[in-house]
Amino acid sequence: MNASAATISHGHDHGHGHNHGDDHGHGHDGHHGPVLQYQPGLPLSRGKLIMWLFLSTEIMFFAALLGSYVVLRFGAPVWPKPHHVHLSEPIGAFNTFVLICSSVTIVLALEAARANKTGLAKFWMVLTLALGGLFLGVKGYEYQAKFSHGIYPWSPRSRVFEKPDLYYGSAVRARLGEPAIIDRLKELDDAAENTLSEEEIAGRRRLKQIRQMVMSPDQQPFDLAVVADQVMPLPVEANAHGDKGGHGSHGLNDTFPWLKLPAVIPGGNMWASTYFFLTGFHAIHVIVGLIVFAILLLYRLGPKRAGMIENAGLYWHFVDLVWIFLFPLLYLF
Amino acid sequence: MSIASSSTTLQTEATHQPLQRPARKPRPVAEFLSTYVFSKDHKVIGLQFLFSTLVWFLIGGLLALAVRWQIAWPWSDVPVLGKLFAQQGGQMAPEFYTMLFTMHATVMIFLVIIPILAGAFGNFLIPLMIGADDMAFPTLNMLSYWFMWPAFIAFGASFFVEGGAASSGWTSYPTLSTNVASSPGAGWGQTLWLLGLTMVGVSSMLGSVNYMTTIILMRAPGMTMFRLPMTIWAMFITAVLQAFALPVLTAAGFMQLADRTLGTGFFSPEGNIVNNWMQATGGGQPLLWQHLFWFYSHPAVYIMILPAMGMVSDIMTCFARKPLFGYRPMVYSIAGIAGLGFIVWGHHMFISGMNPALGITFMVSTMMIALPSAVKTFNWLGTIWGGKIQFTTAMLFALSFVSMFIIGGLSGIFMAATPVDIFIHDTYFIVAHFHYVLFAGTAMGVWAGIYYWFPKMFGRTMNEFWGKVHFFLTFIFMNGTFFTMHILGAVGFPRRLADAYHYETFHHLQPLNAFMTWCAIGMVATQIIFAINFFWSMFYGPIAGRNPWNANTLEWTAPSPPGHGNFDFQPVVYRGPYEYSVPGAEKDHLMQTDPPNAAAAALAAVH
Amino acid sequence: MNRLSGIFWSLLFLAVPVLGVATFAVAPAFDIWLPKDVSEHGKSIDGLFYFILALTGVVFVGTELAMFWFLWKYDAAKAKGPATYIQGSHTLEVVWTIIPAATLLFLAIYQMNTWADVKMRRPAMSPTVEVVARQFEWRLRYPGRDGTLGTPDDLFLVNDLHVPVDEDVLVQLKSMDVLHSFFLPNLRIKQDAVPGMKIPVWFKATETGQFDIVCAELCGWGHYKMKGRVTVESREDFDRWLEAKYAAQESTQPEADPSEAVALAN
Ligand code: HEA
Ligand code: HEA
Ligand code: CUA
Ligand SMILES: [Cu+2]
Repeated sequence: MNASAATISHGHDHGHGHNHGDDHGHGHDGHHGPVLQYQPGLPLSRGKLIMWLFLSTEIMFFAALLGSYVVLRFGAPVWPKPHHVHLSEPIGAFNTFVLICSSVTIVLALEAARANKTGLAKFWMVLTLALGGLFLGVKGYEYQAKFSHGIYPWSPRSRVFEKPDLYYGSAVRARLGEPAIIDRLKELDDAAENTLSEEEIAGRRRLKQIRQMVMSPDQQPFDLAVVADQVMPLPVEANAHGDKGGHGSHGLNDTFPWLKLPAVIPGGNMWASTYFFLTGFHAIHVIVGLIVFAILLLYRLGPKRAGMIENAGLYWHFVDLVWIFLFPLLYLF
Repeated sequence: MSIASSSTTLQTEATHQPLQRPARKPRPVAEFLSTYVFSKDHKVIGLQFLFSTLVWFLIGGLLALAVRWQIAWPWSDVPVLGKLFAQQGGQMAPEFYTMLFTMHATVMIFLVIIPILAGAFGNFLIPLMIGADDMAFPTLNMLSYWFMWPAFIAFGASFFVEGGAASSGWTSYPTLSTNVASSPGAGWGQTLWLLGLTMVGVSSMLGSVNYMTTIILMRAPGMTMFRLPMTIWAMFITAVLQAFALPVLTAAGFMQLADRTLGTGFFSPEGNIVNNWMQATGGGQPLLWQHLFWFYSHPAVYIMILPAMGMVSDIMTCFARKPLFGYRPMVYSIAGIAGLGFIVWGHHMFISGMNPALGITFMVSTMMIALPSAVKTFNWLGTIWGGKIQFTTAMLFALSFVSMFIIGGLSGIFMAATPVDIFIHDTYFIVAHFHYVLFAGTAMGVWAGIYYWFPKMFGRTMNEFWGKVHFFLTFIFMNGTFFTMHILGAVGFPRRLADAYHYETFHHLQPLNAFMTWCAIGMVATQIIFAINFFWSMFYGPIAGRNPWNANTLEWTAPSPPGHGNFDFQPVVYRGPYEYSVPGAEKDHLMQTDPPNAAAAALAAVH
Repeated sequence: MNRLSGIFWSLLFLAVPVLGVATFAVAPAFDIWLPKDVSEHGKSIDGLFYFILALTGVVFVGTELAMFWFLWKYDAAKAKGPATYIQGSHTLEVVWTIIPAATLLFLAIYQMNTWADVKMRRPAMSPTVEVVARQFEWRLRYPGRDGTLGTPDDLFLVNDLHVPVDEDVLVQLKSMDVLHSFFLPNLRIKQDAVPGMKIPVWFKATETGQFDIVCAELCGWGHYKMKGRVTVESREDFDRWLEAKYAAQESTQPEADPSEAVALAN
């Protein structure tokens, strides 16, 4: 009654553990049972099925991270807008585009491999690798931009403060008291006007003011708010002293990139925690994908490897999909 | 390759006897390594899991004894263990006590119960019971065992690092667990704990996707899903639970690790200072961890019992010589428990400060999860009704699983009732509840499984007399230890307290606790009988044939122990797994591989 | 011999319900039972506890007795003829799904009111006292003479909670460092204190006396000794006590420690 089932199953034997190779040598040789036949419950190869199952665990992993992000974000009293934290939507959008392109090229690589056009397959594969690399490069550039504004995912390095309080004042004072900064400040003070740009001249004046403010023994919380605003002006909604800071003008940290004064970004630390965590885990997944592609490039990408390319591609689509969720959540809302 | 001859059982099989070594250079070390250490054979991997977890079981049991010692006789010199760990000249320090129960629970849950069910029994039984020669991915399978070792090492080493092992409970609630200044064990110990947990997670994840693939694609011809033995159904659904719940814990673990090492503030509120130490930048929510943790750990309690339920169903049908009562309802109820298991996690958080309205929804779903359990309980009772019951050791353990699960399950109803939980949350009532389901339930199921499948694993049966002595003493001492916890809980006796007798409400409870500790000591001592029986029978027990219990499922058609590739013939399945006492059949059991003509007439007479 | 073994094992399983019920029956005689309840809502919590005890008791005894009986009756050494060949029963499955479902649904609805009383229907009043948990003590803050918390005339105390009897009491619960749990066994109150959250807890004590405050959430090595006392007393005693404490605070500390006030306020 089940003879038909038995025959169907026969095609699905690849990749399983029958050739145990050097597992042998303890006397079972020659006494191997028959090559067993199976009745598969799904018309899928083992590799593909386990890949889908693995991806569902990955979906739960990212679902947990994204869920936490949503809970933390909507539980937080304030959340910075993308510009407060120097996120650039166009760059993010560009990166999204790059990743989508790479999803296309991997499909093309698979098609080529299936058609036994190995050279073409290699070409598309290399292109996928390059696009993935480009994505990581852009990501690195974005990270760098955050670091340069003192936004770090770890606390001792972080120069982000929630509010312009006494702790903030003393952090600014500490930064201004660092020997290297003192030297640079002296240099700046001594510089002839004609060696400086107009912005720098204005900046130098503002810098002098805030140095007085933070160094003065009887500073007021109000002064610190002014300091914060000069260091890194926040766009109107988040800024109680809208008229003081020059909007559209650069903050001091932008005018003098070496200055790196602590900044006040309400909600900025939690934002940084989630941003680096989510994009970091995504980036790790991208790197793993690139390693797999690099390994695949060592082989001849003919129909025999199509299964592997397909699985790698499935994974890559998943990585792409995660980014498609991350991009709007992190950059647009 | 004769199907008919395979079911003539009880013949000693020569297949696994060592044969002439093939003509090639002997490489004894390499061969030993590849056969017993880095083996890709699911049976060897299963046994590796079994031995490792038994060792940890012993360690977990000794930790429990140390816990019990302190509860019964607080601040008195600890025998034996006191010399090993404790400071203060043999006495236990309070921070040492918190470490003890944290690591007791961690070891028992993550290094014993989960790996023994899924790792040992899952590995050993799945290919054999579905008629496959191995797992779908043997190398992955081997890796899933080897990922346990970093966890063994991390948990083991954490006892010896500065500050000692993790000590914020197995639930590791922030900010106690995230702030290194909060307690001594919150330093390296907690970090190692998180790393160990992640490794256990990787191991389980690798195992679970492999199991699912194997069960879906590698069943013998004729083995439809609804002819699978309950053990396999349970393993399958457990694997689904693991695949979907575990990644959440892994993510949460990474977040906690980041809070501790990088200074992110996922779980620390703004400006949280513990012991004059500010660990994280803040802005996070302590309750978020609880949600993530229980989103995993509630399904995990079912991960810790469903396989035992499956094994017990198989064992009970075999020794009642009856078909399983309500096979399909039994399958659906496992699926129901698993599905509902994902929406009840909040019942651990009724008084955590979570919105009380949310508590109501979790209360209702928790009540509902008792239904599939009810279905299972009644069907087990239906299975032994009208049977011909053989009181073997395996059967006794299986019966006690049912009997004890009822107790553990019913105490769950008290806690599911939110107002009652206000009083009994974090008391010994909870401790009673989960030891009844975990120890009196699952561990009993595990023992049932060991006694039942031991012949398949080692080719010999365990000694029945000493098995029954082991059962009897364990059963008595276990109830002595854990049943009394219910009434302790009714007084409100809090868990996780190194010494509660200085409270007026609790100071009269010391004698009862002393009694429980004596029972616990007896229970652990009883296990010496088991250990001796186990090892002695491995080498000197009576040789078992292919099918010593006259059972029906596929593993009993293979040699004992099965050789490489498991089957010496192509198994073809003709019927469900529980055709016992079919009227008119010449034997009282029809194996799944017995061709239909033998029984066709008999079955026709019934229908 | 075989017969005997079947009898022996079935009796062992009979011992489970017998000794189980016995344990619960004798426990109150040894005072190992619910501690005295001195709260208004405690009655319904205890009532619910007894109700569930009775319900699960019936299920427990019923199922365990059935198990014993089947083991006794269907022992292979005793039973003649083969086992009954039966695959299941659709009717029975429906019956034993519906009956527990109805019971549990009833239970779920029946208890909601109590839950709402204890955790959802917060009395409209300003907090009687603020309880701030920290490793390993309970810090209390009463609103001073002006009746509002957070003003400089607040009264600060440690571990010694006093509340008036027969009046609604609203506690504002906070934590300074890690999780703790505010457990008053005799008042049937338990609530976790969570850093970063302000959680209201309310009750009405019905009897005077002194009772334990237990910390019921693991909070570190000193968790076991985080003990406080709650004194329930008449309104007059309470006011007198408050006045005395207030005078004492004013004489020893002219001003409340400002750093502490800041820490407590956030
Ligand atoms: C294998 C493990 C396991 C299993 C199966 C269960 C099963 C159940 N658990 Fe348990 N539970 C744990 C392990 C487990 N639990 C652990 C480890 C903890 C503590 C964690 C910690 O804090 O450290 C815990 C804690 C815990 C809590 C939190 C308590 C607290 O901290 O305040 C709650 C609350 O609702 C709960 C409920 C339940 C319920 C309703 C079931 C149900 O599934 C039970 C269903 C079964 C039955 C009801 C019996 C059979 C049915 C019948 C005979 C039918 C008729 C019955 C009726 C009509 C009532 N459990
Ligand atoms: C599967 C889980 C499991 C198991 C089996 C056990 C087993 C035991 N547990 Fe445990 N326990 C937990 C899970 C478990 N526990 C959890 C989750 C907690 C909560 C922790 C927390 O609050 O964070 C807890 C907490 C806990 C407490 C409360 C501590 C407190 O809150 O202060 C107590 C107190 O009595 C206790 C006691 C015991 C005892 C006496 C046993 C005994 O049953 C132990 C018996 C041990 C054996 C019988 C060993 C047998 C050995 C073998 C069989 C090996 C043979 C060897 C070879 C063949 C090589 N446990
Ligand atoms: Cu505070 Cu426990
Ligand atoms: Cu639960």
